[in-house]
Amino acid sequence: MMKRKISILPLFLMFLPALEAGGQELTASQIVQKAYDLMRGKSSYAEVTMHIIRPKWERTISFKAWAKGTRYSLIYITAPPRERGQVFLKRDKEMWNWVPSIGRTIKIPPSMMMQSWMGSDMTNDDLVKESSVIEDYNHKLIGSETVAGYDCYKIELIPKEDAAVVWGKIYTWISKKGFLTLKNEYYDEDGYLVNTETLSKIRNVGDRTIPTFFEMVPADKPGHKTTMEFNLIRFDIPIDDNFFSLQNMRKVH
Amino acid sequence: MKSPVIAWRNIWRNKRRTLITAASVFFGVIFAAVMSSMQEGSYSKMIDNVVKFYSGYLQVQQEDYWENKTINNTFVLSDSLSGAIARIPGVTATAPRLESFALASSDELTKGAVVIGIDPEAEHRVTNLERWIIRGRYLHPGDSGILMGDELASYLHVDVGDTLVLLGMGYHGVSAAGKYPVAGIFRYPMPQFNRQFIYLDLKQAQELYWAPHRITSLVVMVRDHYQMPAARQALDTLIHPPLRVMSWDEMQPELVQLIASDRLGGKIFKAILYVIIAFGILGTVIMMFAERRRELAVMIAIGTQKRLLAWILFLEIVFIALLGVITGLAGSVAVNTWFYHHPIRVAGEAAKAFTDMGIEPVYAFSLMPSVFYNQVITVFILVMLVSLYPMIKTACLKVPQALRG
Repeated sequence: MMKRKISILPLFLMFLPALEAGGQELTASQIVQKAYDLMRGKSSYAEVTMHIIRPKWERTISFKAWAKGTRYSLIYITAPPRERGQVFLKRDKEMWNWVPSIGRTIKIPPSMMMQSWMGSDMTNDDLVKESSVIEDYNHKLIGSETVAGYDCYKIELIPKEDAAVVWGKIYTWISKKGFLTLKNEYYDEDGYLVNTETLSKIRNVGDRTIPTFFEMVPADKPGHKTTMEFNLIRFDIPIDDNFFSLQNMRKVH
Repeated sequence: MKSPVIAWRNIWRNKRRTLITAASVFFGVIFAAVMSSMQEGSYSKMIDNVVKFYSGYLQVQQEDYWENKTINNTFVLSDSLSGAIARIPGVTATAPRLESFALASSDELTKGAVVIGIDPEAEHRVTNLERWIIRGRYLHPGDSGILMGDELASYLHVDVGDTLVLLGMGYHGVSAAGKYPVAGIFRYPMPQFNRQFIYLDLKQAQELYWAPHRITSLVVMVRDHYQMPAARQALDTLIHPPLRVMSWDEMQPELVQLIASDRLGGKIFKAILYVIIAFGILGTVIMMFAERRRELAVMIAIGTQKRLLAWILFLEIVFIALLGVITGLAGSVAVNTWFYHHPIRVAGEAAKAFTDMGIEPVYAFSLMPSVFYNQVITVFILVMLVSLYPMIKTACLKVPQALRG
């Protein structure tokens, strides 16, 4: 089950405010923090198209996503028609699913957190847990490499001993200019590569320049891939905490 | 006089010794036969539990399904194939199923469940499902209700008439969500089924999972285990990739191993028992021979052939063993038949140990012929071995010394 996991980290990284790139001698933690902050705002709104690619079939899902800080996010499915109107709400470490066709809100139980989200390579757990790259990991700068033409820091993330994380280690490549996260590799506890994440289509989205296309490839499943394209993203929009409520799940559209 | 008659009279010259020896064989046979019967009976019961309650003897599946049990590894069963399978000699029933994992949710509680779409009539023919309904009613074809295990129902605080929401992932990743009234509650003897199984009509399941006409398996039943190889062979000629055939022992390798190791344990136990019996008989034979050394020598001296004497001694041992075996068989047939019709129900803590392993808490007995004839064969071999002693001794008997005795 663990092998299925692909991080949704970038999705949340997207919703970060940009900070000015400062001094010359940055520590690994500062680099990760800057990249993290770049993609996360106080709040954000995005319109995303997700493609799920399997050896024998493909599927496209479109959704709108609102986020505030690391605590709240809400996803509203817009396509395909059969799924339209489904809402996922994340508050802290909990997750609910509003299903309009049966008129019910269902809390996703812990046993389901490692299940695939909407049939993709992401798990439900990815949607709620991935805010911990800063606090749960020790960061170490291990070199420079070029990714997609960008000169990048290569940073190793090793989980802290008491951290509740599923990865054994993560490599992340962050561009020296602009602090763009361009690639992540996720390894399990035995040191085997599980997922590779590539970020591309770097665009100015209004107040900052960030990658807008994510490709996630599980290492042990040939022909499996999940991609996400951000068609629109706005940062630091005003959203009330009440927006992320069970009541609002039924009203949002 | 005929040698069997002489042998028969000889063994009654020391009644007590003959009876004691025969009794040791009698108890050995009874013990071994009852124990084998209980073992074989329990194995059949365990196999029945998985085969007749769930997996069936054979299943037709999409070839990747067993390794990767997702709703995507399903197939469409054509009418022609389904008809051809039903016509295989020995096949007694077939039942299509669409099975997947889903969340079952009542108003406030949610739990993971195995949701199985069934053809209610076909399923009843295969697993006798209707028999286990304890509240409510069974499904009828096209039913919109569901059946659920009693433990799952009480966990979710729902009962007949309440509404249950099922939520999961359908064919090719679509969301599967549906609302169903609870039509009936079942209780199987196996608690793990009661904790997680939900049945609904096949059409409803196909709609829920957005998988029209698709099934995960076609369960094929034959009359009993012995009909399986022939039916399997016939199925193999009909089924080609991307479909495959699996038999219950391929689907339940743990059970096959469990039975094999338990059977070996029983064999060791019986071997020890029979070694003790063999030495008991040997003891008797040695005594008998020692007592009659002089008599045998006299017989030889007056012209009886050694070969004839050895034959008589052999017959004596055979008669004693036969006495034990026949009475033992009669006794064990009686005991086993009684327990076959009145299996021992286990209760209390011991029952929990059974059900925790997923086995019905019953000591069942078997009337399989091998349970009985195996004992006869074993005793026969023992007698052969033991009778070597007097035969060799007779052959080597030095008449002058024995006469002086």
